[in-house]
Amino acid sequence: MTGYIGRRLIEGIITLIALSFVVFGSVHLAGDPARFLLPISAEHDETVYEEQKARLGLDKPFIVQYWNFLRRAVILDFGNSFTERRPVQEILKERIPATVHLAVAGMILAVGIGVPLGIISAVKRDTLLDRICKAFAIFGMAVPQFWIAIMLIILFAGYWGWLPAYGRGDTQGWIPEWSQIPNMFRHLMLPASVLALAIIAAIMRLARSAMLEVLDTDYVKFAQVKGMGDRVVIWKHAARNALIPVITFGGISLAGLLNGSVVVEVVFAWPGVGLMLLDGVLSNNYPQVLGAIMVSGAAYILTALVVDILYGYADPRVRLN
Amino acid sequence: MAAETPALILDNRAPASWRQRIKDARLPWIPITILLVIVFCAIFANLISPYDPRENDVRNKTQPPFASAGHVLGTDKLGKDVLSRLIHGSRTMLQVTAPSIIVAILAGTMVGLVSGYSGRWVDSALMRITDAVLGFPSILVALLIVTYLGTGVWNVMIAIAATQWARFARMIRGEVLSVRDRDFVVLAQIYGVSPGMIVWRHLFPNVINTLMVLTSVSIGQVILLEASLSFLGLGLKVGDPAWGIMIAEGRKLLTQAWWIALFPGLIITIVVMAFNFFGDWLRDYLDPRLRRAG
Repeated sequence: MTGYIGRRLIEGIITLIALSFVVFGSVHLAGDPARFLLPISAEHDETVYEEQKARLGLDKPFIVQYWNFLRRAVILDFGNSFTERRPVQEILKERIPATVHLAVAGMILAVGIGVPLGIISAVKRDTLLDRICKAFAIFGMAVPQFWIAIMLIILFAGYWGWLPAYGRGDTQGWIPEWSQIPNMFRHLMLPASVLALAIIAAIMRLARSAMLEVLDTDYVKFAQVKGMGDRVVIWKHAARNALIPVITFGGISLAGLLNGSVVVEVVFAWPGVGLMLLDGVLSNNYPQVLGAIMVSGAAYILTALVVDILYGYADPRVRLN
Repeated sequence: MAAETPALILDNRAPASWRQRIKDARLPWIPITILLVIVFCAIFANLISPYDPRENDVRNKTQPPFASAGHVLGTDKLGKDVLSRLIHGSRTMLQVTAPSIIVAILAGTMVGLVSGYSGRWVDSALMRITDAVLGFPSILVALLIVTYLGTGVWNVMIAIAATQWARFARMIRGEVLSVRDRDFVVLAQIYGVSPGMIVWRHLFPNVINTLMVLTSVSIGQVILLEASLSFLGLGLKVGDPAWGIMIAEGRKLLTQAWWIALFPGLIITIVVMAFNFFGDWLRDYLDPRLRRAG
């Protein structure tokens, strides 16, 4: 087991370094921040340009710049955002909690709805309920997230006026005040549902097919023959085994969600890492792009790593490969 | 007459007519019809759309659908006809997605064939890269590419191709591994056929079915990705007739003009569903082994 964890850890670190290299390299090739940042009055003044370059450390060779970037990236120091004129680190500190809240809320919704629906539609195969679930899954996988988000805003925020259309309300940071909690949930409702929709569909299909397979095994049939109640057989004997692949998939999707599903954050003006990333891309704000992508990538790799290790605990067969 | 051999009996049987074959295939008619309509709209967009999709008509701005005689699906905030923009949107969609998916298929197939056939370190190296691309959400990879290349249609196409090839590479490699050690390949090697020829004549024909299935399953994802990138303002310009852009424009007029965002979203959903259904059918038809449980 220790060997397995060690191997996965080393793989994770290598992936992270590769990611940082690709990201830094492509941003480095994309443009010259020193020129981009020159005030208009000094646009053709080469001495000002050289000074700027030296100040940003851009006169050094690529590999030295990369090393400096890496050294500072470890402590989340990505320099100053061009547009906001303050450290990217500070912006990240405000943005990460928002993205994590949204991702966790979306995940809870997706698992809470997807798993029971998948199990029930496997048990009650080919009934009306199964068909409705299937139709819902097909719809959930085909509908564009940003569109369903807009439609929900039109209905729930515009037409009925039940829920807020955008933003996070007055919640800030990781832990809200007691008085802010109801408002926080109201703001989370629409974006979390949209995030959950596509995952619910996938989790449901996965749980259903895993459950169908398990229901066909000898030990489940034996439990039934033995005269155990349906409820015990389904939820205790069958579901527990059927859920192993679902857990892996859930972990991987949580990692995807942590990346701040950019589109959802944009539609709901949710102040998370995804919105920060898009703002950075659209305004050539390199430090901000670097910070947002590195944090998203690291979150993704780490979550995938944790899921793999947990999976190794849950299913000893995995470790042997 | 001498007794007929079984082979002759087989020969005597009339070959199944194409009518019978189509009947046996149980074609999914609804998705096929939808896709044909979309392709028809894309080809004849200029002839069938009632108005110019880019023409402003300020006197008739934000007309609701089914209200005025001229504009069946209403107009947007500058008086552009929504129906005409939807019809031209199908052309834009095909123009952006078709080349990018073709490039993705070519690149992915090449990588998959080479990786699967050469094995050892070439295989490990190529598969590491493939996994890295597959591992990250497409939209993040696409954003990285757009950061590097700048916004624009061409760059969006490159971004789509760059995120999609990996799935093809993975799948094709798996298929190649399963036929690589079969007798006909080994015999060809013993016979001294060059590796390039083995890949082209003996391996490639065996992966075509998988390729077709994966293509039809991927198109839906590609359409969604393209629409998302347009929506985020990374591809075409505002005012161009593209479904993603129409939704972005509709978003600004949420409370006044719901129809601007509603119709393009419905169309995207229907088209993606049609492709997904068609892909499922094709998988069952070409390769029953891949059929999912349930």
